[in-house]
Amino acid sequence: MNTLQRIQPPVFPVEKVVIPEAKSFKLNNGIPVYLIEAGTEDIMRLEFVFRAGQVKEYMPLLASTCNMMLSEGSQNYSSEELNRTLDYYGVFLNQSVEKDCAGIVLFFLNKHIEKVLELSREILFRPAFPETELNSLMKKRLRWYMVNREKVQNLAIDQFFESLFGKNHPYGYQVHNQNFENITPSLLSDFHNKYYTPENMAVIISGKIHNKTAELLNSYIGVIVSNENNYKASINLIKGDKFKKVHVNKSGTVQNAIRIGSATINKRHSDYPGLKVLDSILGGYFGSRLMKNIREEKGYTYGISSSISSLDLTGYKVISTEVGQKNCQKAIDEIYKEIKLLQNVPVKNAEMAVVRNYMSGEMVRMFDGPFALAESFRSTWEFGLDNSYFYRLAEKIKTIDPDEIIELARTYYKIDDLYEITAGSE
Amino acid sequence: MINYKRFSLENGLRVLIHEDKSTPLIAMNILYDVGSRDEDPEMTGLAHLFEHLMFGGSLNIPDYDTPLQLVGGENNAFTNNDITNYYLTIPSENIETGFWLESDRMAELDFSQKNLETQRNVVIEEFNQRYLNQPYGDAILKLRPLAYKIHPYRWPTIGMDMAHIKNTDLEQVKKFFFSHYAPNNAILALTGNIGYDLAFKLSRKWFGPIEKRTIQPRNLPAEPEQKEARILTIERDVPSTSIYKVWHIGPRNSKDFYTLDIITDLLAGGESGRLYTKLVRGKKLFSEINAYLTADIDPGLIIVQGKLMKGVDIQEADKSINEVINGLLRENEIKDEMEKVKNKFESSTVFSNTSILNKAANLSFFELLGDPGLINNEVNANRNVSHRMVIESLERYFNPTNCSTINYISTQKER
Repeated sequence: MNTLQRIQPPVFPVEKVVIPEAKSFKLNNGIPVYLIEAGTEDIMRLEFVFRAGQVKEYMPLLASTCNMMLSEGSQNYSSEELNRTLDYYGVFLNQSVEKDCAGIVLFFLNKHIEKVLELSREILFRPAFPETELNSLMKKRLRWYMVNREKVQNLAIDQFFESLFGKNHPYGYQVHNQNFENITPSLLSDFHNKYYTPENMAVIISGKIHNKTAELLNSYIGVIVSNENNYKASINLIKGDKFKKVHVNKSGTVQNAIRIGSATINKRHSDYPGLKVLDSILGGYFGSRLMKNIREEKGYTYGISSSISSLDLTGYKVISTEVGQKNCQKAIDEIYKEIKLLQNVPVKNAEMAVVRNYMSGEMVRMFDGPFALAESFRSTWEFGLDNSYFYRLAEKIKTIDPDEIIELARTYYKIDDLYEITAGSE
Repeated sequence: MINYKRFSLENGLRVLIHEDKSTPLIAMNILYDVGSRDEDPEMTGLAHLFEHLMFGGSLNIPDYDTPLQLVGGENNAFTNNDITNYYLTIPSENIETGFWLESDRMAELDFSQKNLETQRNVVIEEFNQRYLNQPYGDAILKLRPLAYKIHPYRWPTIGMDMAHIKNTDLEQVKKFFFSHYAPNNAILALTGNIGYDLAFKLSRKWFGPIEKRTIQPRNLPAEPEQKEARILTIERDVPSTSIYKVWHIGPRNSKDFYTLDIITDLLAGGESGRLYTKLVRGKKLFSEINAYLTADIDPGLIIVQGKLMKGVDIQEADKSINEVINGLLRENEIKDEMEKVKNKFESSTVFSNTSILNKAANLSFFELLGDPGLINNEVNANRNVSHRMVIESLERYFNPTNCSTINYISTQKER
């Protein structure tokens, strides 16, 4: 067609990661604030994060209901007024509850910052937990829950956490229909008083930072005082189930969900960056071994992936896929085969180069723009870590060798330790 | 304000560039003007299957993904009724690899039987996962043929029958490629850390040599006006009864589009939307309810869908939706509410345009619609909608005879 060289890729240099440091200061009441200046638009992402996740709850649904009820009415606003006002100012409010943390994130145009701070104070520190709204929320949640329990992927992951972390730990227990009847306004107030306090939180701000930002934060949020001082909850024991294989039966499904994995180290451990690389090779990106083998080679599934996640008290790794019934066992066999290969055969340099460069590119994306920067910051702050974690990860991506991969696979992917959860038709 | 420049190559490829130096990345978006509406009714799902095949290697490059991963890139694609859209982000220093990859697969694919067989299976598993193995997953499959009798929007992008996917052969695939994949049927957008000169030079170098292809003009049958209400009742083993109501609207480029967008926001824009406040919070008839436009290029649909609370009668639920819509018609004082949804639209546009990938996708799509300037003018178009226009559109489109309804009945015993 022409003389253009289309066989060889154009030459390229390897990119390097640059991470802007967050500025930090404390509000008058001691709440730590982190500021990350980034982006071109006059907008802000404002996150209030509390150590008020599921791990703190003493009954199922308490942490999530407390968080969801924050926007259902406060001292000065009804739930309808709150939502209408947020919408009027074009504010996007995300409420979230995870296993360890909970909180809210607001996205808005900077010109509305005062209104946003006033509303945030109402939402976070003056919730009314009205009974009517609570009853109606719990009825709705029960409907959502019942729909979710129709999906094999939810049946599998709920069982997965229970098998890994136990029926008695908030990381592990499953929710049941009757749990939706047990939450009362006074339980919510109590939980809120204990965990939504200045001692339990941080503020993470990214976007265009104005001179007045700190002053405004102090006048709206820096004046909050705790109702209860530093409540320390007792911590339950995490205990994995002795049965490694569990099938959750649901008749009439065309696909089964598979979840294979186990508890593992978290971000604070020095092996974690290496484990991230191993996880990527196994199932962490489109070119991973599981994807290549089980989707691109055999066509058993629309998608398969693996991931490792950090929790405050532990961590876990999980391989996830949905496959047609007739290929379910074949897919499971292939998953174990791929793990064993990583334990016994050194990864070739060509594949190492792909995964190194893919992960380096991912790191560029993790620090691109105000939203990604804030999320990355939060992901280390939670574990008491700082940007040195990312520099260690970047270094490990460049330097890890095939022998270390084998070592990590043998240490952290012992086949006998893995739980194998399936959900769907028998 | 998003500044962009635009040029065309001699082979007809249109290129749009927006420089944003605040990011170390570049987004590259290639839109092909082909979607499921361009399929033969006997061979539906081909456009989407084809999107999968585009990752199976091209004339000179056996594997698309690996070289991209080798330079820290990431990519994906989607197909809908109207278009097939491919996109990638890549650290700016490696952008030429993106040009190399995308131009080679525009030039010619490696049509392999093995790849076709695997991707047919993958697509069938995708169909199973998304539509058969999810509660309510098949509602949309039923909705299209109820609302459309003639126009190709009557089948879903994944295909109306998986037998069509199973029967696809390599000859059909080749023919599809050469009749739709061509520089003169594509739009390339580059956003992020790339200047005009480099973008121009690389576009010419890599895409310039690809020859123009013959593209048959699109000639789709128009959907005749719907003259009577259509109702379909289906029973399924799901926890809650659901209702889906759709009304025909005009094409994406019609004057009414932004008015209808405002109407869906008044009805269901966030928790303060009318359907939510009146029917979820107020009367507690629904556990969730939503309204949106399909935003199709040809005449599309406005869709309202909701899941009923336990024990609610479906006729009552249906009636309550109509009452909320009619309530909008009757009320004279909705100035604050209009202001609210317009503010929210502005805010969401600003946020959407903080992403280079969204900017690239929007520029490409607006160019296809005939006006890339929409990327800066949409907020104004939305601001200019008046109460009068809302009333007119409500009267024009929300007629019972223009409506199709699916009553999706739960057969599960209440627990």
